[in-house]
Amino acid sequence: MIPTRALIAEDEPVLAQILQQSLQRLWPTLEIVAVVDNGVAAVEQTLKLLPQIVFLDIKMPGQSGLDAARELAEEWPEQVVFPLLVFVTAYEQFALEAFDHAAVDYLCKPISDERLAKTVERLRARAAQPGGELERAIQQLRSLMPTSPTPQARLTLLRAAVGNQIRMIPIADVVYFEATDKYVRVVTADAESLIRLSLKELLAQLDPEQFWQIHRGTVVNTANIILAQRDDLGKLSLRLRNRPELLRVSRVYAHLFRQM
Amino acid sequence: MARKIQWTDIARGTLHAVLTLLVICAICALIVTYVIRLQSTFWQSMVFSICIGGATMLLIRAGYALIWRYAKPSNWGMALLIAVATPLGFMLGSVTASRLLHLPVDDFGLRHLHANAGLVILTVLASVFSTWFFWTQARLQRLNATTAAIEQRATKARLQMLQAQIEPHMLFNTLANLQGLIALDPIRAQRLLDQLIVYLRSTLSSSRVETTTLAQEFELMQAYLEVMSVRMGTRLHYTLELPPALRSIALPPMLLQPLVENAIKHGVEPNIAGGSITVRAGQHGERLMLTVSDTGRGLEAAPIEPSGQLGVANVKERLQMLYQDRATFSLLPNTPSGAVAQITLPLLP
Repeated sequence: MIPTRALIAEDEPVLAQILQQSLQRLWPTLEIVAVVDNGVAAVEQTLKLLPQIVFLDIKMPGQSGLDAARELAEEWPEQVVFPLLVFVTAYEQFALEAFDHAAVDYLCKPISDERLAKTVERLRARAAQPGGELERAIQQLRSLMPTSPTPQARLTLLRAAVGNQIRMIPIADVVYFEATDKYVRVVTADAESLIRLSLKELLAQLDPEQFWQIHRGTVVNTANIILAQRDDLGKLSLRLRNRPELLRVSRVYAHLFRQM
Repeated sequence: MARKIQWTDIARGTLHAVLTLLVICAICALIVTYVIRLQSTFWQSMVFSICIGGATMLLIRAGYALIWRYAKPSNWGMALLIAVATPLGFMLGSVTASRLLHLPVDDFGLRHLHANAGLVILTVLASVFSTWFFWTQARLQRLNATTAAIEQRATKARLQMLQAQIEPHMLFNTLANLQGLIALDPIRAQRLLDQLIVYLRSTLSSSRVETTTLAQEFELMQAYLEVMSVRMGTRLHYTLELPPALRSIALPPMLLQPLVENAIKHGVEPNIAGGSITVRAGQHGERLMLTVSDTGRGLEAAPIEPSGQLGVANVKERLQMLYQDRATFSLLPNTPSGAVAQITLPLLP
């Protein structure tokens, strides 16, 4: 029988080591394929090694465990079973209570052996009968997505840098926003410019009826969507008014384009 | 400090003033009827008394509001106001009372003045007493309100400081490390526990003391940074530089510590490669210069979340409160990466 494989993402070395030891004691046949110390490496290594279980610390450098999980859900290859996720946290357990008895589990630091044993039991049962992990994980992650709890002042006009000039762009003219490394690219019918904001900060100031997030890094103006289509591989993308390119919709947001 | 007008307070104040006025008027009416023995019944005296007292009080209040606009008046000014308002109030009040009681109106009540000097003295005494009484009451109320507001602010600041310091996140993560080390490396576990105890003890006590010394403050930072470097492993390096001559310099607690925690929380900890932190105390002429520099993510990636601003805002507010304009604070980018926070204070407070 092929052993179950797990990956640990935890930035504090002592905690990573003790989790690894406890798991080896409670589940001797579990193979730990990698231990990484940040949220970026967590996604890279998970996509490369394709383990069945991933322990994700919530607070990590690079990106949080929740963001890493969302990226995994978007990038996970179609033909492989999505890993079982276990979030590990020191204090945000209130945010994770939704995960109790769900496809995904969570652990609070300091982790007690009894609690870990319970998680191991659940994981073993789940790993023996895989199926539906991705759908369940996506549903759980969706419930955790920020729904802009405090409606901030809505942006009506963007001030974007284009060379030495500051261009004023009415928000309705924007076709879509795309996150790059440190900036957000603002795409209108005939031009592109950059604003120095994170996509998260920007989203909090947009009208959620008018602007939809369709991917980790993409927010589209719904007025400019002509149609949503699936390609031969089943991937969903949008055709836009006034722009030639197609926009990918990740599976996390695919539910927005189901027929009525 | 801006005070907001509370209508319920005003209503309660007015009711209180009217009741007090009625009591004073009743006493005056009793004196007029039974001591001075004017040719009037108690109830007639009472009506006169209320009219005169009411008119005088209104005049004094109106004068006070118009001239000083609710600021503190001078003693002489107030005496002058009483001297003008009392005869005016006497005349207005007695005319009104005469009308009400259908008695003949005698030349604005002036004949009463000739008739009995006792009445004049009584009115003056009553109005001086009432003014003094109301004035003292108002001052007491203002004092109470100010004291309550100051206490509330102080409590809030202390709480914020404590909350900013011992974060549950920090505590539980450290305990998790301790739990791990007890199994993996008991000697390091013991050392981590010692540092955690120093950190907790000095953090808790510094929310109660007014001043600390640089030596104590550096010991606290050493304990905190030691705990953090056990947790973060090779991702964190730190240096503390305190010249021996400055060890016993006194300063308010919790000025440096929040800056060090900020450097960890927003600079080094979220950085994948980690970084180093340097805390330095130095003397420049008559001024003490305290610097916390890090090589972390830098200010561009600075948090929008309120917890990040809270530490810095708290330090700024406390510097302003304790030193007014004699202290400076700056938070600037470090080269090639990270941030530098600097405080300068007068050496002799």
